[in-house]
Amino acid sequence: MRARRENLFHLIEPLLPHVEHPARYLDHEWGSVQEQKGPFHLAMVYADVYEVGQPNLAISILYNAVNAQEGMSCERCFLPWKDMASLMRERGVPLLSLEGAAPLASFDAIGFTLAHELIATNVLEALDLAGIALRSSDRDEDDPIILAGGPSAWNCEPLAPALDAVLLGDGEESIVEVCACIRDARAEGMGRKEILRRLAQVPGTYVPSLYDVVVDEGTTRWGRAVPKEGEDVPPTVLKRCVQDFAATPAVAQRIVPYMGIVQDRLSVEVLRGCARGCRFCQAGMTYRPVRERPAGQVVSCAVDGLLRSGHNEVSLTSLSTTDHSQCAQILSGMNERLAGRGVRVSIPSQRLDSFGVEMAAAVAGGKRGGLTFAPEAGSQRLRDVINKNVTEQDLENAARNAFENGWRRMKLYFMMGLPTETDEDVVGIARLSERVLEIGREVVGRGPKSGVSVSISVAVLVPKAFTPFQWQGQCRPDEVRRRQQLLLSEIRDRAIRVSYHDAGVSLVEGALSRMGRAGFELLLAAHGHGCSFDAWTSEFSLEAWEAAAADCGLDLEDVACEEFPLSAALPWDHTSPGVSKGYLQREWRRAVEGVTTPDCTRESCTGCGVCPALGVHNVIQGVRA
Amino acid sequence: MSGRRTQPTDARPQDLPTKAELARLRVEYGKDARLAFLGHLDLIGTVERCVRRSGLPFSIGNGFARRMRIQFSSALPVGASSACELFDVRLTERVAEDEALERLREAAPAALAPVRCAYVDGALPALEAWLNRATWEVELVGAPFDAAELGAGISEVARRGEIVYMRGEREKCVDVSATLVGVEQVGESALRLETRSTTAGALRPRVLLDAACAAAGLGQPEAVRVRRALQRHEAEDGRLVEPFGPFGIEGRAPLS
Ligand code: SF4
Repeated sequence: MRARRENLFHLIEPLLPHVEHPARYLDHEWGSVQEQKGPFHLAMVYADVYEVGQPNLAISILYNAVNAQEGMSCERCFLPWKDMASLMRERGVPLLSLEGAAPLASFDAIGFTLAHELIATNVLEALDLAGIALRSSDRDEDDPIILAGGPSAWNCEPLAPALDAVLLGDGEESIVEVCACIRDARAEGMGRKEILRRLAQVPGTYVPSLYDVVVDEGTTRWGRAVPKEGEDVPPTVLKRCVQDFAATPAVAQRIVPYMGIVQDRLSVEVLRGCARGCRFCQAGMTYRPVRERPAGQVVSCAVDGLLRSGHNEVSLTSLSTTDHSQCAQILSGMNERLAGRGVRVSIPSQRLDSFGVEMAAAVAGGKRGGLTFAPEAGSQRLRDVINKNVTEQDLENAARNAFENGWRRMKLYFMMGLPTETDEDVVGIARLSERVLEIGREVVGRGPKSGVSVSISVAVLVPKAFTPFQWQGQCRPDEVRRRQQLLLSEIRDRAIRVSYHDAGVSLVEGALSRMGRAGFELLLAAHGHGCSFDAWTSEFSLEAWEAAAADCGLDLEDVACEEFPLSAALPWDHTSPGVSKGYLQREWRRAVEGVTTPDCTRESCTGCGVCPALGVHNVIQGVRA
Repeated sequence: MSGRRTQPTDARPQDLPTKAELARLRVEYGKDARLAFLGHLDLIGTVERCVRRSGLPFSIGNGFARRMRIQFSSALPVGASSACELFDVRLTERVAEDEALERLREAAPAALAPVRCAYVDGALPALEAWLNRATWEVELVGAPFDAAELGAGISEVARRGEIVYMRGEREKCVDVSATLVGVEQVGESALRLETRSTTAGALRPRVLLDAACAAAGLGQPEAVRVRRALQRHEAEDGRLVEPFGPFGIEGRAPLS
């Protein structure tokens, strides 16, 4: 039976003096929707603590979309930190929503944002705390329908047995359709199975339980998902895409948090999608096509949002803000409207050329912190392989320009384990960093007081679904360590600092990115071994993951590093972001040959397939430089 | 509201008045209900956002960080509510007090609602150090002892003269004779404390209670509700001054 909907804050309140950061559990923030009349109730869950989940834009967008509907309510829910979770378990308090402090198990539907692979164990933890069966097949007729969506839904198979339905692509329209579908089906007295069947008819909705996994000679060891016998569901579920992006609200955040959160600022989503075509980048393939908002909308919504929220910082977010064809116009408009108001404007990432530096300078005001660039690879050859369309000259110009504009600290992001990578490419990272340092010294001076420094951060490539590198295995940890040592031995200047991402974390991320549905056993075992908050370095335990893998007869390294044949049916082939497999295969071949592919927002269509598949097109307000 | 201006002002920073010329608006507000659990830094951030939302013409400092010119009364312990929190914000122009209060109330969550505001002399010292006297209401829930036993514990702590306690990892010491002005029993399970903060530190009600329980060998109550009821300034001559003045006249006599 469905849990009763009631406000149980009185069970949480006495625990507040005994936990870290009680502000996580307070709710009642400015702008939160306190009136939750329903009668249809959705809970949007970001399965991490409040300060990590609250800034998530997807949660805000879907929260607004559902609350705007007559007869539908949407509340938020975050995962309590371990101290609170154990107190709740001790006292038999189930996981509650924020606004109504109602048991999660009392909702009609629960939506999880799969922001990254490492959130998977926290999804299980949330269900467990809520007292909801972890497996979809074990749920009662009346239990909430468990939904999920977000970037990691592009390989949701390892989590699929826990999910009743997965929403692919832009969610602002489909979440409302899905909620309406559940509401109507319940009103008609449909059983759970029938509701799921009906959900599968909502475009962009994948219902895992209606598909079987078949392993044969045409698949990898993980098999592929095919419609179950007799089920009328699409063999491939295509994502949803909002063509008229400018018609959606530019500022999704209405809630002003009390406590300091990870990105404590107003966000304006200035554009969606990126067509630069970096071959390692999942977002670049799955958020196409590119849709820009008009400059006027960005500026007026930002100013209005600042007045309404009281924030003192606004971030122009997107996958590549400086690619917006009206970027300069947006920034000058913002600077003009916001002068003297003590408001900071920030851009999340810089484009790797002089234009990027000019834009960074336009928002920096008097402040010059570090400036971040992502060349990703150390040699031009390898940058061509990954289709990072920047030349040595672009890089040097950008660096020179940045030092001339007053920056002293340069931060460079690289990746290791890229396809075709050789020792020469690794050494190239050292040479490029030295070159940037040298340019800084030429511009600023050589004395110790010049303050010029370069820090480089090196991650391991995690090959992701729906990228041209999806067939590639992850680089073996031993080999990664050897290349790291090589890089360290090549860096001789103390003004260059190197940091590496945790290789164990990348390994687990890699394994989760490649596994099929059978990977759910690994997630269950990991949860059983106490894995949660895996995205927190302080909480991640490789030992626990390895033990869990051993329980399932798996080896994390084998799973993450396995190469898939180019012709194989992949575990995620039954879902599609619209980019065709043929295009990805072609891009893989071009990668190996070191041939680059241009950006379709600057040159002509390169045939990725999104536009014809979805009946959509790029929307560029001006002309991209 | 008619004639409401966009905030804070469209003038460029160099055209704005200097700090000495800026109006200093003092605002009193409560901290109630669940917001008692808001930490001091979170509270500061929240109040600043209320001021921004109110549309009042607040002034921005000259530093790189371009922060709002605003000052707060001292930090409340997390979990304590209050009837008398204060902040002073500098405005680039005077807005009528009742209009300012209305705008702030519209922009604040109910549990932090401003109750009073008035312009004060720009030359007064900063709030935090100036408000060196506080009255606290302490309510004990489910205490395994009676008022007389607790009273004995407090007397014992007062006799010893100081409390040494741990705050996180650090050992702290507070001088009870300098910081505890008075204790008044209110019924069976409530106390009213009057404390003084000195340059050497302040006495938190919970610290006093814990020390008193330990000194008298008493068990812990299930919960302790702490509320700051009054904040005042004690002048060198012992005179008590209310936050909104009058600044030159005798205040009420201190407790006990
Ligand atoms: S189909 Fe062509 S125009 Fe559309 S996103 Fe793909 S490459 Fe660009």
